Amino acid sequence: MSVEELVRFDGEALGHARHTVLADLTLGLRTGERVALLGPSGVGKSTLLAALRRRLGQRAAWCPQEHGLVPPLSVYHNIYMGRLERHSALANLINLLRPRRDAWRDIQALCGELGLEELLKRPVAQLSGGQRQRVAIARALYQARDIFLGDEPVASIDPHQARRLLSMIQRQHATCVIALHQRELALTHFDRAWGLRDGQLILDAPARELTLEDLDTLYPDAHSPDASPEPA
Amino acid sequence: MSAERAPGLLAGDSLNLRLARRSLGLIALCLILLPFADLAITTHDPWAELGRMISGLLRPDILATQSLPHAIALTIGFALWGTLLGVVLGFPLALLFPRSRLLRGSCAFVRAIHELFWALLLLQVFGLSAVTAIAALTIPYAGIFAKVYAEILELTPRAPVDALPEGVGRFSRFVYAELPMVWARLSSYTRYRFECAMRSSVLLGFVGLPTLGFHLESAFREGRYAEAGALLWVFYLMIASLHLWGHRRLLPWIALGSLFLLGPWPDIDGALLWRFVSVDLWPNPLLEGNWSGLWQWFGEIPDLLPAIGNTLLLGLMGTAGSLVVALLLWPLASRHFGNRPTRMAGKGVLILMRSTPELMLAFIFLLMLGPSMLPAWLALSLHNGALIAFLVARHADAIVPGSHALPASSRYTYELLPRLYGGLLALLFYRAETIIRETALLGMLGIATLGFHIDSSFAYLMFDQAFFLLLITAGLNIAVDALARRYRPREIADTPGERGHPGREATC
Repeated sequence: MSVEELVRFDGEALGHARHTVLADLTLGLRTGERVALLGPSGVGKSTLLAALRRRLGQRAAWCPQEHGLVPPLSVYHNIYMGRLERHSALANLINLLRPRRDAWRDIQALCGELGLEELLKRPVAQLSGGQRQRVAIARALYQARDIFLGDEPVASIDPHQARRLLSMIQRQHATCVIALHQRELALTHFDRAWGLRDGQLILDAPARELTLEDLDTLYPDAHSPDASPEPA
Repeated sequence: MSAERAPGLLAGDSLNLRLARRSLGLIALCLILLPFADLAITTHDPWAELGRMISGLLRPDILATQSLPHAIALTIGFALWGTLLGVVLGFPLALLFPRSRLLRGSCAFVRAIHELFWALLLLQVFGLSAVTAIAALTIPYAGIFAKVYAEILELTPRAPVDALPEGVGRFSRFVYAELPMVWARLSSYTRYRFECAMRSSVLLGFVGLPTLGFHLESAFREGRYAEAGALLWVFYLMIASLHLWGHRRLLPWIALGSLFLLGPWPDIDGALLWRFVSVDLWPNPLLEGNWSGLWQWFGEIPDLLPAIGNTLLLGLMGTAGSLVVALLLWPLASRHFGNRPTRMAGKGVLILMRSTPELMLAFIFLLMLGPSMLPAWLALSLHNGALIAFLVARHADAIVPGSHALPASSRYTYELLPRLYGGLLALLFYRAETIIRETALLGMLGIATLGFHIDSSFAYLMFDQAFFLLLITAGLNIAVDALARRYRPREIADTPGERGHPGREATC
């Protein structure tokens, strides 16, 4: 195979100090692959993403859920933090008091695409949940890396906009691993799906070979009438 | 089948029963030791004196004090610069605080000595100048800020730091992902400290610095109660209007403007300062290495053990008294009792009592009742009791009672107190450290605690003795704090509001 393999796990156990979350994990991520990560909440999606993030280091942009933002700071500063390591401490400090002109221009353009253009100066604390998620995505895009790792970046965003944002993310990153709970999006916007359940990787297949029913098996309550994950 | 017997009085293992036993133990110990306290009323007619004071308060004479605006400006200027420099010193120390045991010890030490004692010490070198006043606030405040800021910084949420890209430097990480997360808490604590500094700044007048307290003390002492009443009103107005003039945008200008009033600055003689620190403060036999002489030196300190005993006794009495006062008074300000006018009045009384520093209250009672432990006891109990009652009432207001039909007494005993008691006791034990600090200080009014001997040692220029007594006072304070920390209820049932650190706003 000519495609480079970026990361490979070979029967590894992932977890915290004393508690194994994912046992005996075997999978690989290849360049140019768009992977949807599925599974019920608490199953270890974040643990797997954190492990990928450690392995990929500076090559991956990281988009955590909204709690990674700093609510008292403005949208501009929260997005700027995506490139915090590329400037000196002094430059960063001055930027807090007076935004850098070049960074402001770039971030303004980025915010225009994400529908945040009027909000650059507003503290994140004053934004709605959906707006915060877009700020988190903007910060990850601003990092300008090859690979995108996202922990439910489109969780509380309406379906139409979620599609648009995923397309935007994927236009900028050939390779991505994105945790989702909208199963339909996994089939339409991704090349491959990883499914976790009960501490195991039980699904690792190309998206075109999968159906919604296959994905339903990941969720223990999927067959009871009212417990299916939010429809997308 | 035999029915289980009802448990005996206060028997049982529930949290509140344990707390009740603990507090009754405290009150019992206080009652047992009470006969050792000197509680005599030595004035001829205390009620007439009180009447004259109250009539002074009701008919204040605002024009009687010369240079009142200057005294007000100095009071604010000292408080502002004392706090500001305290922040400048305390903040960097807070960053090192968790890592250095020596630093934590030194901070505990400078905190343990009251602002007024620092003023007495610094007075010997810098005279009655702004340097003395500001440093007397800055030194203990730096220790306090170091500790409290460190506690606040410790609670910084981790998520924003974890979300940062790899390779961000420490400084950038701190100013972007950590500091903003706790900024609101840091600044609200600083603001609260400034209010404390205002009170302390007034008190600096008691050692002769020309703040509001200086005029207040002389007016009271000389029986000019109309003038004293006016000054008290000015003081209350200053505290109550803090939110109006203490605006973030305004404070820098006030700080700069007050600089012009703070002078004249003293000439600091380096050699003299060094001599004071290296020679004057230490017992001569110790510097000479004469151990038997040192023993004799100890013997010459008058009434050391009685002074320590009195300080501890008064501290205990003050703590027990505050508990009783708080239990009695908190319903006054709570929405669960009375009607709107009674609550307004109750809140007013509590705010007045908690805004008046113990030293000032004690001084007023002293003029009424004559020199004994009684005025100090009353002052400690009323001030601290009112302060705790005010906070407890606020916690109580956050509670939604289960049934509205209960009469007031059952609402107090069954609905509310069981949920509030843990918080109340925690506040009291936090407060114990402050009470013992104040107790030592009240000696300056002539009550036979450590402060009395510190004050007179300074008066007789026996700096070595004064410094030794200050060290004893600080040690006592640190020991009482450790003791209170041990007995403080940890598992507080149902206290809404500032969980984890209920005492932070009750420490000045």
